[in-house]
Amino acid sequence: MKSQVEVQDPITDRILDEWLEEPAPFLSILHAIQDHYGYLPEPALRRVSQRMDIPISDLYGTVTFYHFFQLEPKAIPDIRVCENSACCLHDLDQLCEEVAGADLGIEHSGKIEKISCPGRCDVPVPLLIGEKFLHGAKPGAIGEAVEATMPLPPETGQQECLFQHIRDGVSDLKVALEKGAWKSPLLAASDPEKLISELKTSGLTGRGGAGFPTGVKWEVVRNENRGPKWIICNADESEVGCFKDRVLMAHTPHALLEGMTCAGLVTGAEVGIIYLRWEYPEILESLQAAIDEATAAGYLGEDACGSGRPFRILIRRGAGAYICGEETSLLNSLEGKHPFPREKPPFPTTHGLFQQPTIVNNVETFCAVPPIVEHGGQWFSDLGLGEQNGMRIFSVSGDIQRPGNYEVPVGTPLRQLLVEFAGGPLPGREIQGVTMAGVSGGLVGAEDLDVRLDPASLDGLGAMLGAGGIVVHDDTRCMIKAARESMHFLKEESCGKCFPCRIGTTRMTEILDELGSGQPVREGIMEEIEDLEEVLGETSACGLGLAAPYITRMLKKYWPDQIQQKLNGSTQASEGADDE
Amino acid sequence: MMSNENRMTIDGAEVAFQPGETVLEVARRQGAFVPTLCYDERLDPYGSCRLCVVEVEGRRLPASSCTLKAESGMEIRTGSDPIRKMQSTLMEMVLSENPDDECPRCRDIGTCEVHDLAEKLEVGRERFLGAISNASKDDSNPFLLRDYDRCISCYRCVRICDEVEADHAITMTGRGWNKGIATAFDGGLMDSDCTLCGQCIYTCPTGALADKKMVGQGEIPGEVEVTRSVCPYCGTGCSINLHSRDGKMIGVTPVLDGPVNEGALCVKGQFGFDFVNSGDRLTRPLIRKNGELTPVSWDEAFDYTAQKLMSVRADHGPKAFYAIASGRAPGEGSYMLQKFTRAVMNSNQVDNCSRG
Amino acid sequence: MSNSIPEIEDAKMMLCVGTNMTECHPIIAVRVKKAVRKGAKLYVVDPRKIPLTEYADGHLPLKLGSDVALFNAMAKVIIDEGLEDKEYIEERVEGFEELKAHLQPFTLEYAEEISGVPAELIRECAIEYAKAESAGIYYTLGITEHICGVSNVQSLCNLALITGNLGKKSAGVNPLRGQNNIQGAGDCGALPNNYPGFQSVEDPACQEKFEKAWGVPMDPKKGITKIAALDHAVDGRIQAMWICGENTLVTDPDVKHTTKALESLDFLVVQDMFLTDTAKLADVVFPAAAFTEVDGFFTNSDRRVQRIRKAANPPGEAMPDWWIISQVAQRMGTSVDFEYQSSEEVFDELAALSPIYAGLTYDRIEKGDLSWPVPDKDHPGTPILHEGEFLNGKGKLQLLDYVPPSENPDEEYPFYLTTGRRLPTYHSNTMTGRSGGFRILVPNEWLEIHPADSDRLGLADGDWARIKSRRGEVITRVAVTRTSPRGTVFMSFAFPEEVMTNFVTNPEVDPRTETPEFKVAAVSIERVEAPSGLGAEQALRADPEGPGLV
Repeated sequence: MKSQVEVQDPITDRILDEWLEEPAPFLSILHAIQDHYGYLPEPALRRVSQRMDIPISDLYGTVTFYHFFQLEPKAIPDIRVCENSACCLHDLDQLCEEVAGADLGIEHSGKIEKISCPGRCDVPVPLLIGEKFLHGAKPGAIGEAVEATMPLPPETGQQECLFQHIRDGVSDLKVALEKGAWKSPLLAASDPEKLISELKTSGLTGRGGAGFPTGVKWEVVRNENRGPKWIICNADESEVGCFKDRVLMAHTPHALLEGMTCAGLVTGAEVGIIYLRWEYPEILESLQAAIDEATAAGYLGEDACGSGRPFRILIRRGAGAYICGEETSLLNSLEGKHPFPREKPPFPTTHGLFQQPTIVNNVETFCAVPPIVEHGGQWFSDLGLGEQNGMRIFSVSGDIQRPGNYEVPVGTPLRQLLVEFAGGPLPGREIQGVTMAGVSGGLVGAEDLDVRLDPASLDGLGAMLGAGGIVVHDDTRCMIKAARESMHFLKEESCGKCFPCRIGTTRMTEILDELGSGQPVREGIMEEIEDLEEVLGETSACGLGLAAPYITRMLKKYWPDQIQQKLNGSTQASEGADDE
Repeated sequence: MMSNENRMTIDGAEVAFQPGETVLEVARRQGAFVPTLCYDERLDPYGSCRLCVVEVEGRRLPASSCTLKAESGMEIRTGSDPIRKMQSTLMEMVLSENPDDECPRCRDIGTCEVHDLAEKLEVGRERFLGAISNASKDDSNPFLLRDYDRCISCYRCVRICDEVEADHAITMTGRGWNKGIATAFDGGLMDSDCTLCGQCIYTCPTGALADKKMVGQGEIPGEVEVTRSVCPYCGTGCSINLHSRDGKMIGVTPVLDGPVNEGALCVKGQFGFDFVNSGDRLTRPLIRKNGELTPVSWDEAFDYTAQKLMSVRADHGPKAFYAIASGRAPGEGSYMLQKFTRAVMNSNQVDNCSRG
Repeated sequence: MSNSIPEIEDAKMMLCVGTNMTECHPIIAVRVKKAVRKGAKLYVVDPRKIPLTEYADGHLPLKLGSDVALFNAMAKVIIDEGLEDKEYIEERVEGFEELKAHLQPFTLEYAEEISGVPAELIRECAIEYAKAESAGIYYTLGITEHICGVSNVQSLCNLALITGNLGKKSAGVNPLRGQNNIQGAGDCGALPNNYPGFQSVEDPACQEKFEKAWGVPMDPKKGITKIAALDHAVDGRIQAMWICGENTLVTDPDVKHTTKALESLDFLVVQDMFLTDTAKLADVVFPAAAFTEVDGFFTNSDRRVQRIRKAANPPGEAMPDWWIISQVAQRMGTSVDFEYQSSEEVFDELAALSPIYAGLTYDRIEKGDLSWPVPDKDHPGTPILHEGEFLNGKGKLQLLDYVPPSENPDEEYPFYLTTGRRLPTYHSNTMTGRSGGFRILVPNEWLEIHPADSDRLGLADGDWARIKSRRGEVITRVAVTRTSPRGTVFMSFAFPEEVMTNFVTNPEVDPRTETPEFKVAAVSIERVEAPSGLGAEQALRADPEGPGLV
C-alpha cells in the first residue's frame, strides 16, 4: 500500500510535536505547515496523515474543500477580490482590470481570484493579497484603497448594550475592567442556576441565525453528565453582508472571552475554542493578545476568575468555507473531518465536539452574557420593543449613506434603521429593496420597509431575520441580478453533499442568469423555479439549501414586473433598473 | 390493549419495528415504495440524495427516512402527492447532471439504479438542463472505468472503500458543484491505496464506475444470463454471479446476499474470471505418441488409460498407483477420484494438494 | 475453521498469525477491518510488516519459526496473571497443571530472545487476548508450512483452551484455507487416511461400510502422503500417477526433485484446463471443464458447502472432472457402479456415505447457508464447532517445545527466505496470469529486501540478484522495501516460467503432516547484471514502473 511509504519531513514533525497534545489541533497544524512552506506539500500531508491516523485520501479531500489551503507553491500572491452582494454592486470587471496592473504597495502576481464575502461590506471593495487586506478599492479610484482598519460602529444616539462601551477603548483590559468587565464569571461560578435563569428571563436567543434560546442550550449542556464538555464560539462569520462579529471581536474582545468563561464555569467545560474565520487575520492577532492578557491577569487559566476551576480559551482558524459556519460542519472541521454538516439529531448539546456535550454560540450571543449578568435578564429583555426581547446588531451595507454596524432594539422598524441611523439612500436615489440575513433570508422590497426587525415579523413577509446582515439596493439596481448574485453565493458555498442543494442552487443560478441575460428564455422556466424552490425548501439537509428559495420567492413577490419583462422576451431592462 | 412500545404507523398501517431500525427499513419491509440513490444497506445511513423523504406527523418538513430512526408512536406517510412530486423533481435534477447519451452500463451490464428509478418515477432528462457535472478520468488501471460525467456524487464509492474495504483509496474533493472523486493527490488508482477490488463499481448507482471487461462487450449476440456461483480463488468462498452471453463468460458481479462476502469481492474474484476464455485451454484429450502429445478421441484416450492402469495394477500391485485430487476443482471430481482409487485400484493411495 | 467467517466482525479481539490476510483472503480481512471499526483489538503476529498491521493495535514481528516460544510465553503470562478461564478449564480441559509446569522456562525474556519481539509487547498481546470477551485466532500457512507446523497450531489451541475461547461465538482457532475447495477435497476423502467425511480407513467399521456401499474389498492400510509419493516415484515403488488440477511441478518445494519424480513414472495422467508444466510431462492429458462450465460444489474455509453452477459452455471437448474419471473406471471392467447421469447423483452418493454431509442436497446448499456437520435433512448446520463439549471428551492441552527451523542462516547462506502470495497473483498464476489485466498489476516476480540489507549488498531498487540455496538458484529483480525485516527476504512463486522460486525452497517437512517448510529457507543473495537473451515480452514484463505498488 502506498500509504505505507515512509516519509521524512522534520519540519512537519516539529509542528506535529508542538500541536498534537493540544485540543482539536487539526486546523492549526495545517496552517502552521502552510505558513512555513507557503503551501501544503505532499510529503507534509503524508506525515500528518500517518501521525494523526487520518487516511491520506481523506486528508487530501478535506484539504481541497477549503478555499485557502493551497496544494501548489505560489511564490507571489494573487489578488483576491470579493465578488458578493455589497461588492458586486460595483463594476468588478473594471476593478479587476485596474488592480491587476496596479502598484498596491504589496507585491502581487497580477492574477485575480474571486472570493466569497470576507466580511468587509462596510468598506467595499476589499482586496486580499497574501494575508493582507486592503479596504475601499473602487473602480476608477483604486488609489483610495487603504490598509485594513476596523471602523468603530456609527453611533445611533440611542441606548446601546453590547456597544455601550465599545468606543471607550475596552479592547484594552485595563479600560475594560474600569467599565466593569470580568465580573459575570463570579456569578457563573457561585450560582450557575441563577445565571441560567437570568439568561432565560432575558429572552436571549442565538444571534448566529437559528435563534435557539441560549439559556435552554446552556442548561442542557450543564445537565449532561458526560465529558469533557466543550465551549465553542462560532466566529466563522461568513454570511454575505455580515460583519458584526468582526467589530465585536476587534473592539470588545473581553466581553466575548467573559461570556465564554461564564459558559465554561456554568457547564463544567474546561476549554473554550473560538473558531475564527480565516479571512479575519487582524482579529487573530488582537484576539490572541486579549486572551494572553486575560490569562496573565488570572481571568483565564488554571484558576479562572478565582473560581478554583480551570478554563482556557484557544483560537482555531478556519480556512475559508461558509458551510463551516453551520455548527455541525464547524465541529467536523475542528475534528479534521470532511466539513459536511452532520445529521441532526443528535444535537451538539449532547453530541458535539468529539461527540461530547458542547455549547456552540455565536460571538454576539456570548458578548450579550456579561451585560445580562450585570443588569439582570429582565433589564435586557425590556430593551426590546413591544413583545420583543433585547437588542441586536445589524450590519448595513450597499447603497446606503453610512454603512456599518448598528445595535438597535429588537422590533425596530427596518426603515428607521436604514433611514434614521444609517443615513438613508445615496443622494437622489430611493431604496428598491434589501437582502436579509446576509442573503439567505431573502429579499424585502421597498413597500415593506416598515417591517419590524424581529424574527416573527420577517417571517410574516416570507423572509428571514437570520444573522442580521442587510445589503441595500437602490433604484438603479436590477433585482434579478441581485437575486442571481445571492444564489451564486449559495451555489459556490454549498458543501455538495445533499442533492437538492448541490444541484438546486446551481440550476437556480443558471436560471437567474438566463433570466437576467436579456435573451429569450426557455419555456416552463417559472415552473422549474417553483419545483426547485419546493425541493430546496423542503428536502435540503441543512439551512443553506433550505434558505435558498427565499431569494426567488421574494424576487417574484416584490419584482414580478422585472421578471415578466424578461419572460416577454424584452431586451429592455425595467425602468431605471439598469446594471451599472 | 396492545402496547405502543416499538410500534409505529406507516401509511395508515400499524407496524412493529426493532429498536435501532430506520424508518426506511421499516417502510420497505411494509412494501412501501421509497426510492433511494445514496443508500446501500451495507453502509452507514448518509442522507444525501433526499429521495427517501417521508412525511412525519408533527414535523414541519419531510425527513429523510434513511437517517430517521423509528420511534414508538411515529406516524409516517411515504407516498403522498407532494412527496412523489418532490421525488420526481429530484430525479429530474439528477438526470440533468448527466450527459444525454446511452448509458454504457445499462447497455452492457444491466439497467443501472439511476435509470431504473427514473423509469419507475416516470421522468426523463428534459428539465433543469444546464452544466454537466465532473469530468471522466483517464485511468491506466486495467479494470475500473472512471467515467465521472455520469457521477451523481452519492459518494457510495468513497463510503464503501472506507466503511467496508477500509482501503480509503478514494475521497470526495472540492465542494458544491465543483466536487469530485479522486485518490490522494488525484493520481491514478494504481498509484493509490486502491486494491482494485471493484466494490465501488457494484455500489455505484450509475454508469460512472464500470467494469472495463464488461462494457463494450455489447456486440456478442444474445441476452445476458446471470448464474449464481462461488469464487474459484482462495478458501473464503465468496458468492459471485457469473454473467454469460451465448454460452461465453463475459463478467462477474458480486452476490449481495452471499453469506460470506455480503457483496464484497477482491480483485481476483471480481476481475480474474476470464482465464476460462483463455485461448490456450485444452480442448481435446492428448496422448503421447512418439514423444509428442497428440490429440485423440475420448474413446482412444479412455481405452488407452484404462489399459495402462490395469497393467500397472496387475504388474506392480495396487500401491503402484497414486492419485492427487485438486483443491480447486469441484468436489464431485475429488469424490470420484478417491472412489476410483479405493474401489478400482484397491488402495488408499490418494491425497489432495493441501500439503503444498 | 472452528467458527464461521461472518462471526469475525463481532470478535472483541483478533490474533492474526502468519496470515497476510488483506492479500490472500481479502474478504475475510474485510470482516476483520469491520471488527476493528466496531472497536475490537487486533494484534498481528508476522515477520513482515504486512498491510494488515496498518489496522492493528500491535504488530509482533517474530523471527521465522519462533512461534511456539512466543505463544508458550503468552500462555505463561495468562496463567501468571490469573487470567485463565478457570471454570472452562475445570469443565472442559485436561492437562492444565502439567502445562503450567511445562511453561516455567518460557519467560518473557526467553521469548524475546528467541522471537525478537519485545517482552512488553508479548505481555500486552497476551493480556488483551485473555481479557477479551471473545477472542479469535486466525492463521494461514505462516503457521503450518514449518517443520513444527503441528506444534505451532497446538500452541495456539493451548491459548484458546486456557481462555475458554473454543466453542463460543466470534472466537475459536481458525485456519484460513488457501484454495477454494481444499476443504472440500479433504471432505470428499481425497486423503490417504480417510474415507469421505473423515472416516478412518483403518477403522474396520468404516471399511465395512464402504465395502458394502461399493461392493468390493477395501485396502485396510492407509496410503502414503503426496510428499512421500513423490519419493516413491523416484525409487520406482510408484509407477502410475493421476494428477487432477494441480501444477505439482511448480508448487512443490525443490523442483529438481519433483521433476525427477514425475519423469521416473511409467504412466502419468494429468487432468487440467491448461497444458501446465506438469501436463507437459504426462502420457495422457484430459481436458477439464472450468468451474463456470459445470455443476458441483465447493466447500470453503468455514466448512460451508456451496453450489457452483454451469454458466458457460466448455471449449472443444472439455468435460467435467467426475465424468472423465467415471468413464475410465467403466472401461476397466469394474463391478463397481460408476454410471452417473449428473453431478447431483455424485453429490447424493457422497452425502449418503458421509455423516457430516448426510443432511445435504443440492437444494439445501443452494445459497451456502450450511456449514458441516449437517447430520440430517433438518439440521441447521454447525457454524461453531465444539459448542458445549468436544467430540472426544476433554480438550487436551499439549506440552510443546520450541524447535528451530531446519535451516538457519549461516556464513554461506546468510538470509532467511520466506514465501507467500501477492494480492493480484494467485498461486502459480495459471488463473490470474491468464485473466486480462493482472500482468499489468504485477508484471513479474521480485525479491523483497530491507534497505539495510540491500545497502550492504550494493543492491538498488530494480537491480537483479541471484538467490541461491543448498538446492538451487534463481535470478530475479529486487524491490527495496521495509515490509520484510532485516535479514529476511520474501518472494512469491507466481512466475514459474521466469523465476522458479521453488528451486530454492526447502523440502523438509513436518513429520506428522508432511507439510514442507515453504516458509523458511536459508539463502545467499548477490547482485548480477540483467540477464541477456530475455524475450521482448519478458523484458517488457521485467520493467515494472514500480514493483510492489499493489
